[in-house]
Amino acid sequence: MLDQGKISELLASRAVGSNSHSKSNSRLKRIRLWLPIIVLGASLAFLIYQGLGNSLVYFHTVDEALALRPSLGTTTFRLEGVVVAGSVHSNTFGGVDFYVSGTDGKRIFVQDSANPPELFQPNLPVVLVGYFSGLTFKSDQIMVKHSANYIAAYPNRVSSLHGKKL
Amino acid sequence: MRMPVVRTIIGVLSLVSVIVTVILGLFITPPDVVQGNLARLLYVHPPVAWVAYLAYGVTSLASGLYLWKPTRSMRWDQIAASSAEVGVVFTALTLVTGSIWGRPAWGVWWTWDARLTTTAILLVLYLGYLALRRVQVSREKRAKRSAIAALIAFIDVPIVHESVNWWRTLHQGATVASIGTNSKIHGIMAWTLLLGFIAFTLVYVWMVILRYEVTVTEDAIEALNISAWTLERENEIGSLSDEIAGLLSDNKDRTGTSSSKVR
Repeated sequence: MLDQGKISELLASRAVGSNSHSKSNSRLKRIRLWLPIIVLGASLAFLIYQGLGNSLVYFHTVDEALALRPSLGTTTFRLEGVVVAGSVHSNTFGGVDFYVSGTDGKRIFVQDSANPPELFQPNLPVVLVGYFSGLTFKSDQIMVKHSANYIAAYPNRVSSLHGKKL
Repeated sequence: MRMPVVRTIIGVLSLVSVIVTVILGLFITPPDVVQGNLARLLYVHPPVAWVAYLAYGVTSLASGLYLWKPTRSMRWDQIAASSAEVGVVFTALTLVTGSIWGRPAWGVWWTWDARLTTTAILLVLYLGYLALRRVQVSREKRAKRSAIAALIAFIDVPIVHESVNWWRTLHQGATVASIGTNSKIHGIMAWTLLLGFIAFTLVYVWMVILRYEVTVTEDAIEALNISAWTLERENEIGSLSDEIAGLLSDNKDRTGTSSSKVR
């Protein structure tokens, strides 16, 4: 009788050991499964909310901004336009004043208070972050929107497109 | 030809083509009329982005072939996993090189425009795919789940590519798609860009072959570990049975002795 008890004791101790081991194992497995899912799900939700919410209408053109000016009020938004040649001057805020033009020649006066980026120059499209103050667009960030054209800076080396040399 | 030989040949070719691209890109090609020397990132950034698309394309194709019963084989799952892993590296490189280009060109490291956002989403989606592959389930279950996830994640690839056409972005329009129809890149710059595409594609192929070999080895080790674990458990059960049998025979002996004493 005593020996039967010993056997069941032995079996029970083995079972308890393996049970607690498998329990902690399955908990670890669950953590391993859910932790990356939660982290990635949260990052994805943040990206979709933050990114696509903003980026679908990433900027208003000059024409749109002028048309929407009453409703935009002093709300901060992004404005896109081409820097008008000859209109760029340094201002007292440490930035530059200039005009941006739209497709049909309409213009907006921009007063910028930040340092323009390296590529900032006349005749290039820019995206400005700022708000309307009367008829002036007060900007605190200039982003240069360069084109998909890549033209050699040494025109004598390459005479035309398709790489035909002189 | 054996796989290590093919891998070595592709490795050498990719190294040579990358070196030639670097020499052409840094020393031979002229600077751009607007962007100056910043335009030299053209020879790295679009090719790296293309390789990310290619990698996810291969992952989707291999996943589809795994899911389709007539072609179902663990080999497709291993190819899909290897390609996705390399794709994630190249997507991260796309974001990093784009950011390095964006700071001096645009004036910002990052902006939430459609191209950048959808690319970031693409990276997170495939990181999720890789995380899914780490879940401890049977190989078949893992392969099936991962294949479905890969096909879902691939939906973002055409969205990333078309984002500059569908939405307003700070990111420039597609340069590469327009080369054939309306040349916008000067001669040697276009040729260097083309070489960049070839070089990084070769690097991708080399990396995938290498990763595939590692995956096959990992799977073999996993199978060996399972066999070892089974063998260990069998031995444990065997020793437990012996212990029980010993205890039972002891018990039998004792009861036999006590009954003979009674007699």
